Amino acid sequence: MAEKTNNDADSKLIGLLGQFDDPESLVAACNEAREAGYKKMDAYSPFPVHGIDPAIGIKRTILPLIVLGAALSAVFVGLGLQLYTNSSAFDALTPFPGYPFKISGKPIFSIPANIPVTFEIIVLTSAITTFLGMWILNRLPMFANPLHRISRFKRVTNDKFFLCLEAKDEKFNRSASEDQLNKWGAVAVEEVRQDLTDTDLPKWIPTAAILGAILLLLPPAAIFSQWGQTNRHPRLHVVPDMDWQHKFKTQTMSPNVANGRDEVDLLYADLRSARRPVDGAIAFGSLDIDSELNYGVKQDFAHTISFRSNVRASLSDDSKKDEAKGTEAGDEAPAAEATENMEQWVTTFPQGVEVTEDLLTRGQQRFNIYCAACHGYSGQGNGLVNQKAMALAANGDATWTSARSLHDADVKGDAKNPVGRIYDTITNGRGNMGPYKAQIPVEDRWAIVAYVRALQETGLKSPGADDAAAEETKDEKSEEVSEDENSEEEKSEEDSAEEETKEEDKAADDASEEDKTEQEKKDDA
Amino acid sequence: MHETRPAKITSPVVSLGNGYIRTIPVAAIVAAVGIVVSILFSGGLGARFMHAYLTNYAFLLSICLGCLFFVTIMHLTRAGWSVTLRRIAELYAMCVVPMALLFLPILITVLTSNDILYPWVDGGWSMGDGDASAQAAGFVNTLPVNERPPFEQLKYGFLNPGFFAIRWVVYFLIWGGMAAFFLFTSLKQDKTGEAKLTHRMQAFAAPAMIVFAASLVFSSFDLEMSLEPFWFSTMFPVYFFAGAVLSAWSTITLTALWFQRTGRVTDEITTEHYHDMGKMMFGFIVFWGYIGFSQFLLIWYANIPEETFWYNWRINYPGWKTLSYVLLIGHLFIPFLAMMGRTVRRNRNFMFGASIYLLVMHWLDHFWLVMPHYNHYVGGGIEGRGWPTFNPIADLACTVGMIAAFIAVFCVICRDRPLVALQDPRLGEALNHEVH
Ligand code: HEC
Repeated sequence: MAEKTNNDADSKLIGLLGQFDDPESLVAACNEAREAGYKKMDAYSPFPVHGIDPAIGIKRTILPLIVLGAALSAVFVGLGLQLYTNSSAFDALTPFPGYPFKISGKPIFSIPANIPVTFEIIVLTSAITTFLGMWILNRLPMFANPLHRISRFKRVTNDKFFLCLEAKDEKFNRSASEDQLNKWGAVAVEEVRQDLTDTDLPKWIPTAAILGAILLLLPPAAIFSQWGQTNRHPRLHVVPDMDWQHKFKTQTMSPNVANGRDEVDLLYADLRSARRPVDGAIAFGSLDIDSELNYGVKQDFAHTISFRSNVRASLSDDSKKDEAKGTEAGDEAPAAEATENMEQWVTTFPQGVEVTEDLLTRGQQRFNIYCAACHGYSGQGNGLVNQKAMALAANGDATWTSARSLHDADVKGDAKNPVGRIYDTITNGRGNMGPYKAQIPVEDRWAIVAYVRALQETGLKSPGADDAAAEETKDEKSEEVSEDENSEEEKSEEDSAEEETKEEDKAADDASEEDKTEQEKKDDA
Repeated sequence: MHETRPAKITSPVVSLGNGYIRTIPVAAIVAAVGIVVSILFSGGLGARFMHAYLTNYAFLLSICLGCLFFVTIMHLTRAGWSVTLRRIAELYAMCVVPMALLFLPILITVLTSNDILYPWVDGGWSMGDGDASAQAAGFVNTLPVNERPPFEQLKYGFLNPGFFAIRWVVYFLIWGGMAAFFLFTSLKQDKTGEAKLTHRMQAFAAPAMIVFAASLVFSSFDLEMSLEPFWFSTMFPVYFFAGAVLSAWSTITLTALWFQRTGRVTDEITTEHYHDMGKMMFGFIVFWGYIGFSQFLLIWYANIPEETFWYNWRINYPGWKTLSYVLLIGHLFIPFLAMMGRTVRRNRNFMFGASIYLLVMHWLDHFWLVMPHYNHYVGGGIEGRGWPTFNPIADLACTVGMIAAFIAVFCVICRDRPLVALQDPRLGEALNHEVH
C-alpha cells in the first residue's frame, strides 16, 4: 500500500481509522468513543444511520436559526427594494431616484402587490443561505481528503462503516487509541496519514486557468472589434414575435383590413389606429379642478375657465348662466385681454403651495432656466435672447417685442399683477410671450411666481437708471431699457458673458434677501 | 443504543372498549338539544339556521374528506411511518357515509325550490340584490327558466336542483365507496395480515385519488362557492382542500392524543409521529395561506366588480373585516411562527393545544366563507346590518350540536374496532419511525 512506503518525514499522522461491519457496531463504537472522552472524531457510513448524531456527540445544527434570520431580513429587503424602486419618496436621500410605476390604478406601494416578490426573495434567500451555510458549517469545499488514499475506505460507499479518531484530539494516543478501537469491535484499524511530499499544484492547472481566461476574453473582444462599425446587412430578428407585435402603434393610420388587394376597408373610419379616450376620461395626474392651484383663478370665478379635465365645467353649468361676466368670457382662456377681469386672480398663494426657502430656491433655478433667456437673471428684460433679437429688430431683420422688465410698475404689485396673474402669464403666455404650461409643471410655475415676486420686491432697476429714474413713467422707462439694450448689443460676446455672471451674482444676492421678502409677503396677506 | 422494535402491537388497549356505548347516548342528546336551541334562537327553521347548519356541515365534511385524503395519499406513496395513525383517518373517512344523511336538510331545501340557502334555486338572483324581504318571508319567487336573464339561463345548466341532487349522490357514492373499501380492506388485514391487501389498496389509491380530486373540486363549488352564483374562482377548491387537509391533520393528531391519554394505543403512536404530523400541519398552514392569498391577489389586481364584491363583503364591512384579519393572523401568521420549531412539535401538550386551535380557526374559516352571504341576501343587506346578524347563541348551539352528532357518528363507526392497524406489513417501519 502507498502509505507503507512513506516514512514519517514524508507524511503526517492524521488519525486512526477503524472499520466496522454493520451500523449497530458503528453506533456502539461511537458511543464508547464519546464516553471515553473523544471529541474530534467522525463516522462514515454508506447511508444515514439513525442515532449516529448523538452517538458521536454532534449537537443540533444552528443552520435553521441562521436561515430563519436570513428569511426575516429578506422580508425587509424584499419590501424595502420595492418601496425604494417604486417610490420617488427617497429622491433626496439616495443617488438614484425611484421609478414610480402606476399599474391598474393601484397605489404606488401596496402590500398585496408586493407579497409575491417578497415571498420569492424570502425563498431565494433561504435557499441560498441553507446551501452556503451548509458548506461553510461543514468546512466545504475540501479538495482532498487523506482518507481517500486508504483503499479499504473505498467500500464506505458500499457496505462498510468507519470511525475515524483524529490525531488532533487531546485524548488521542497512537497505540492506546488503536487498542481502544480494537476493543470496541473494529475489524481492522489503520493509520490515516497526510502526504506532505507532493503538495504543489499540478502543473496543468495554472496553464488551464490562463487558457480559460483567454477564452473568456474572446467574446468581449469580438464585440469590441465591431464597435463603431457599420453593417449593411439587415438586422437579425431573434424574437420576431416581439419585433412585429400584433398591435397598432399610436400616431399611425388605421390598418386596412380589406381582404382584396385594391380595396380599402379601414378598421376605424376616423383613420386613427388608436381609439380616443371616452368622454370625460381624465388622464392620470391631469385632474385640474382646483382653479386656484391650476389656473390662478379664484374659486368664485372657476366657472369662467374651461378646465382641461372638463369635470368642473359640467358641474358649474348652471352658475355660468347667472354670471354675466362669465357668459361674456365664455369658454375662452382667462388670458383674453379684452375681457380680463382683474378680480378673478388669486392674490395669495393657493392652498398646497407654501412659500418656503426651498420653493424660492427651486423658483430661482427654474426662472434662470426658462425665463432668464428673455427677461434676464434679475428680470430687467435684458436677457441674451432679448438683446440679440432687439439688435436684429433694430436692423429691420426681425420683428420683436421686447421682453418686459418685471420691475415695471405695470407688472408689479397686487393691484396690477397679483400672483394669480403672473401664474397665468407663465401658463398661458401674455401678449407676445408664449405659454409655458407644457414645459413647466404646476408646482414649478408657482415656485417661479414666488421667485418673480421676490425679484420684484427687491426693487432692482435697469442698469444705468438711478433712483430718480425709477419714479419716471413706465413709457420712458421702457425706452430707457431699449436704449440700454441697444448699447449693450455692441459689446462683444465675452462681455455679455461677463454681464451674465454679474447678474447671476445679483440673483444670488436676491436669494439671500428672500427670508425678508417672505415675511413681507405674509404681512401683505 | 439504537434498537429495532419488533413489528408487534404491544398496547394493552387498542379499541374504544365499552366507552362508545356510554358516549353515544350522551352525544346524541347534546346534539338534539343543540340543534333545537339553535333553531329556536335563529327564529325557526329558516335561512339563519340553515346557514349555521351549512357552516358546520362544511366544517365537518371537510374533516372527513381530509382524512379520506390522508388514507389515499399514504397508500399512494407507500408510506410506512403513518401506518399506526392510518386507522384513525380511515374511521373518520368512513364518517362520510352518515354525513350523507346529514346532507339531507340541505338537499331538501334545494329540492323544494327554496332559495333560503342557494339563490340559484330560484331565478332573479343576478338582478340587483334579489328581493331580500320576499326571501326573508319565505316567498318562493320562481321564475320560469326561459324568462330568466341570459346569464342565469347559462348557469342554470349546471346550477339546478335536479343536477345538484344527482351530483351529491355521485359524490357520496365516490367518497363512501373509497372510505368503505379502505376501512374494510384494512380491517380484513387485521385478521389475515396478508401483504397483498396492502398492494390492492395501493393499486386502488391511484385512480381513486383522481376521482377524489374531481369530486372534491365540484363539491366545494356546490357546497360553498355557489352561495354566490355570480362569483367564481378556480382557486376555491384548492382553498377548500387546503383547509380540509389541515383540519384533518389536526383532527387525527387530536384523536390520537385523546386515545393515548385515555390509555389506548399507548405504545404505537410515538413522539416521532407527532413530530411528523406537526410538520404536515405546518406545511398545510403555509399552503392554506399561500392559496388564500393567491386567490385574493388575482382578484384584487384585476379589480373586476363581479369578482371583487365577494372580497368586498368580507374585508370592507365592520365585523367581517375583523374576522378577515383574525383569519390572516390567527390562521396563518401565529401558527406559522408557533409551529416552526422542532421542540414544540415534539411536545404533546403543545400539539394538543395546536390541534384544537387550528380546528377553531378552520371553523372560523367556514363561517367566513358562508355567513357574509346570509348577511347580504337574507339578513337585510350587508351594509345595513353587517355584523349584528351574527347570532352567537344560534351559532354556538348549532356547532355544539353538530359536533356532538359527529362524535356520536364516530363512535358508532369505531365501535370496538381496533384503533390501529394490527397486522400491516409496514407496521415495523412505523414503530421504528424516527424523525430528523
Ligand atoms: C422668449 C422670450 C420670453 C421668455 C423665455 C419669457 N418671457 Fe415673459 N415676456 C416676454 C415678452 C416678449 C413679454 C411682453 C409681452 C407683451 O407685452 O406682449 C413678456 C412679458 C412677461 C410678463 C409681463 C406680462 C404682463 O404684461 O403682465 C411677465 C410677468 C413675464 N413675462 C414673466 C415671464 C416668466 C415668469 C417667464 C419664465 C417662465 C417668462 N416670462 C419667460 C418674453 C419672454
